[in-house]
Amino acid sequence: MIGFVVRRLLQLLPVLLGASALIFAMIYAVPGGPVAVLVGENATEEQIALVTQQFGLDRPVVVQYRDWLLRALGGDLGQSLHSREPVLKLIAERLPATLQLAVAATAIGIALGIPVAVASALAQGTWLDRLLSGWSALALGVPTFWVGILLILLFAVELGLLPAASAYVPFWEDTWQALRHTILPALTLGLYVSGISARFLRGSLVSELASDYVRTARSKGLTERVIVQRHVLRNAMLPFITVVGIALAGCIGGAVVTESVFTYPGLGRLVVQAIGTRDYPLVQGAILVILIIYVLINLVVDLLYVYIDPRIEYG
Amino acid sequence: MSEALRSGLRLVRRALSRPAPAVSVAYLMVLASAALLARPLGLDPLEEDVARMLEGPSWEHPFGTDELGRDILARAIFGARTSLTTAAGAVLLAAAIGVPMGLVAGFFGGWRDAVLMRLVDLLLALPGIMLALALIAVLGRSQAAALVAVGLTGVPTFARVARAQVLSLRRREFVLAVKAFGASPGYTLVRTVLPNAWSPILAQMIVLSSVAILLEAALAFLGVGIPPPTPSWGEMLRTGKEYLYDSPTYAVLPGLVLTLTILAFDTIGRALSAVLEGRDAPAGRPAGAAP
Repeated sequence: MIGFVVRRLLQLLPVLLGASALIFAMIYAVPGGPVAVLVGENATEEQIALVTQQFGLDRPVVVQYRDWLLRALGGDLGQSLHSREPVLKLIAERLPATLQLAVAATAIGIALGIPVAVASALAQGTWLDRLLSGWSALALGVPTFWVGILLILLFAVELGLLPAASAYVPFWEDTWQALRHTILPALTLGLYVSGISARFLRGSLVSELASDYVRTARSKGLTERVIVQRHVLRNAMLPFITVVGIALAGCIGGAVVTESVFTYPGLGRLVVQAIGTRDYPLVQGAILVILIIYVLINLVVDLLYVYIDPRIEYG
Repeated sequence: MSEALRSGLRLVRRALSRPAPAVSVAYLMVLASAALLARPLGLDPLEEDVARMLEGPSWEHPFGTDELGRDILARAIFGARTSLTTAAGAVLLAAAIGVPMGLVAGFFGGWRDAVLMRLVDLLLALPGIMLALALIAVLGRSQAAALVAVGLTGVPTFARVARAQVLSLRRREFVLAVKAFGASPGYTLVRTVLPNAWSPILAQMIVLSSVAILLEAALAFLGVGIPPPTPSWGEMLRTGKEYLYDSPTYAVLPGLVLTLTILAFDTIGRALSAVLEGRDAPAGRPAGAAP
């Protein structure tokens, strides 16, 4: 087991190093390079000399990357060009909002996805299965920003029940307001996530149902209900953990768009705004943080998978 | 016409004869003809009429007018040109990079496989939309940037499909026979393996078209896609969202056209891969590829 964890981490290392190098290199790919980013394209010779000196831009790129990475690992992601505040602070302010949205959306997505997957796996090949599989295609295909707009039109514009723009209200501080502000974005993102979880879970249920122990149970004369409840679902709990992980990972990407629809102050919106204002240190820092969160979720899913099911080879 | 091609066409016809794919094909044909005929028919997506701003649907303007009095239907039809060409370019780019990667990785194995698959891991280390945003942050905002950004997010899918195809083909007798006759690895790969690996790759291209259209629209919606005044569906939804109280149909109708287009490509692509793979299960879209 420990060997597997170590091997898995070692496999991640080149990916993380490569990705962080690319994120670092972003600033060099911008027209004018880091100097232009820091002082603008019409800077005087003195200004250029000053920032070159100040930020050590005359040193070899590899050395600059090493220093940037070491500082980032120490929590120093530099300063926002726009607000002059530390990038890490700006990200830390936005992170709880995105996490609250992601958790709510994952809960909705799984609550919707499980019944859809179970029903369509049990009704394999029938019209019900086709209908429910169509649900996944719909949930994944319909743009979240259009769903969000339709929900705003219905619940905010027509019915006037919920706010059209969502603020971040921490769940533990004011649960009622938090629900009012989080429900529409969470539903929007949750519908998308339900497509991911239903498709994945249906696949694993179908293969469970085709396995030998189910045939044995059937030949013993057990009812389908008992087979599903006692045997199949219990074995499908294994991919359930994976489903939660996959759903959460899906939220990380989906949140970018959903947050923008509802002008919800999360991490994804921060990235989009930073790109709009060409605030490169902020873009780099936020993408680095999202990369780490995304990779970690996927890693934890992999490790849990092996931990729970001893049949899986630690390969 | 060769026998292989004829049987391939028979399969395609069978896949598309079911109701949902058939309707999808019809819808896309209408959309494509509208996009092609837009100019000859005298539709102008840029003609402003400030006397008639933000009107709802009418006989004269079936989708209503936008904040500058432009016809929303005309803009949606021109948006189809933008969307379809960008998506087609992105999918071709993804296939042009991903397929050779997968072929080489699967055929030669060893260090080439390890290196190329780590590259694929690198592209998958971020959710697709974040990868696209990062690229646009560097490339700036343009149609070319949107195409490249969307295209690169599709590379892992093609690399994996092509690699899986090669892995299942390279030990087959006809491939071994070609090798035994002394064919070079390059010849074996390009002339023997590739022609037999095409069909799932083509089906994947259609499925990925729907992902590409969705992602391109999402980027435009975020305000970092193809810059205005070029009409694009995502941009129309972005602006329409500002006028939800004044003109609810502004965002809803272009969004409907966008959604139907995405679903049509997805339906056709999955019907094709189901028939080609001889099974009913959908090939599936890479989870989290696009929101």
